[in-house]
Amino acid sequence: MNNFTFESKQKMLFGGMMGLGVICLILSLFMDDLGHQTRFWSNFMHNSIFFTGIATMVLFFVAVSVTAWGGWYTVFKRLWESMYSFLLGPALILVGIMVVAVYGDFAHVYHWMHPGDDEILIHKSAFLNKNWYAIASVVVVGAWAFFAYKLRALSLAEDNGNGGFAFHKKIRVWSAAFLPILGFSSAAIIWQWVMSVDAHWYSTLFAWYSGASWFVSGMALTVILLIYFQGKGYFTKVTDEHIHDLGKLVFAFSIFWTYLWFSQFMLIWYANVGEETIYFYERMNDYPVLFFGNLLLNFIMPFFVLMRNDTKRKRGTLLFASCVVLFGHWIDYFLMLKPGILHTALHGEHAHDAVAGFSMPGLIEVGTFIGFLGLFLYMTFRRLAKMPIEAKNDPYLDESAHHHVGYGGGEMHHDAHEHH
Amino acid sequence: MENQNKSVLFGLYNDEEVLLSAIEKANDQHLEIMEVFTPFPVHGIDELLGFTESRLHIVGFIFGAIGAAFAFLFMTWVFTSDWPIIFGGKPYFSAPAFIPITFELTVLFASIAMVVTFYAICGLWPGKVNPTLDDRITDDKFCIAFDADAHSKEELNAIKLFFSETLAEEVHTKDI
Repeated sequence: MNNFTFESKQKMLFGGMMGLGVICLILSLFMDDLGHQTRFWSNFMHNSIFFTGIATMVLFFVAVSVTAWGGWYTVFKRLWESMYSFLLGPALILVGIMVVAVYGDFAHVYHWMHPGDDEILIHKSAFLNKNWYAIASVVVVGAWAFFAYKLRALSLAEDNGNGGFAFHKKIRVWSAAFLPILGFSSAAIIWQWVMSVDAHWYSTLFAWYSGASWFVSGMALTVILLIYFQGKGYFTKVTDEHIHDLGKLVFAFSIFWTYLWFSQFMLIWYANVGEETIYFYERMNDYPVLFFGNLLLNFIMPFFVLMRNDTKRKRGTLLFASCVVLFGHWIDYFLMLKPGILHTALHGEHAHDAVAGFSMPGLIEVGTFIGFLGLFLYMTFRRLAKMPIEAKNDPYLDESAHHHVGYGGGEMHHDAHEHH
Repeated sequence: MENQNKSVLFGLYNDEEVLLSAIEKANDQHLEIMEVFTPFPVHGIDELLGFTESRLHIVGFIFGAIGAAFAFLFMTWVFTSDWPIIFGGKPYFSAPAFIPITFELTVLFASIAMVVTFYAICGLWPGKVNPTLDDRITDDKFCIAFDADAHSKEELNAIKLFFSETLAEEVHTKDI
């Protein structure tokens, strides 16, 4: 089947998920211990940032693969093109709302919005100010959306081309141009969006660490969607070999994420400088379940479950691990954002009791996550339905269809060189 | 190799694709291939020769786990009972500080154990002389070898016919 139909049942499901998300967002306006709609805005930001990042990292990985002459993913590249299409529209709107909320002073989530006579924040105000926040967000996400549009348009145009490398060369030039732009812009925007909730604190590793979190989530979501679509009879050319490689990416980047997480933690722990340790001191003491659960879900589980070759090829196991990792990294973002926002909302006071929606993700937070996930999936499915799901004329199509990772496992794969 | 000499009948090929189809043909004819030598890894050859997955990585896991446990427990012993020193105001037992060395020793144990195990299984030790059938199979020739002692004269003739049918460039017999 080369044309994907977005079934009304799926539309109903995603519509229902989005409805749940909207209800939860509305509820969070009223069930707020802190005032200033802080619970609403923090939930909104948390999920907007998380899903915008997932789409961005998928776009990043497509650009990396094209630049590095990679071709193994070509049989399912339409899925990635649909996923990063989230940047065209939804992400711009979500980030636009964030910008309006911060610029118009509706959301009191960043301490630096009102520095008062805080000397550190006055010194940092050249970077941490509303104008720069607004301009950087719009320009950066706009640039990402532009490259998403460009790469997808070229890939679709290639379908109607006459084969050969003409389109691929153009795609590679645009991909290569995108990489340095993404490298700098994603770091700068992560500082603005995420790291600056703890406005006094900074870590030079932070952008890598939260970028890796986005990346793993993107790969995990790819696995989930690909297994789902194959169950529906689409993407028939995707074999265990592709699934195995995606499993490797989830596994390897879970370890990479842990490496960065620990590097950041250990240096701060060892140096023991008060203004740095406060970040981990708060999270370890006030959020112990989330703090250690984060490592359990995002490192221990994928490390041991996905270590073996065969678990990366068994779809059930890989699906389970991917779902856990996706949710785990959502928790990771919760833990990056909420303690700092709570701190700001309490004007630096320490919370003595649990605060709904901050001390622990409540039902409203999970519902909001489901709502944003519904939006992401709705957009992905809608984009996918608008294009032929198997690319044509891509010079790497044949290579991708015969992709082989060299895993023995006692199975006979004669197709490895049948096409010669 | 054992001490007694072994007679080997082997054919040399110029190209890995020709080699792969030759192996397929040998499988169809139920010829018992002793060994295949290639100058570089050839995709798909493991499956054709019926190789199952190597168990070497299990050695890697076991020794990696031993290395991790050894490093962590050793440092715990040193810093808590053998020679306790306070570093930077940290407690004697400071798990985060032990992690980098635990990681290093995990990698070290796993990699060295895998190399040693691999060499031991292959019977390679220092000073070991390993005769090659033809020096060019480490350069640009692909070789299929049959155990000549294990086959009758008719069977050897069938193998020679097989070599000529599958476009082997050269066919030799050598005692090693």
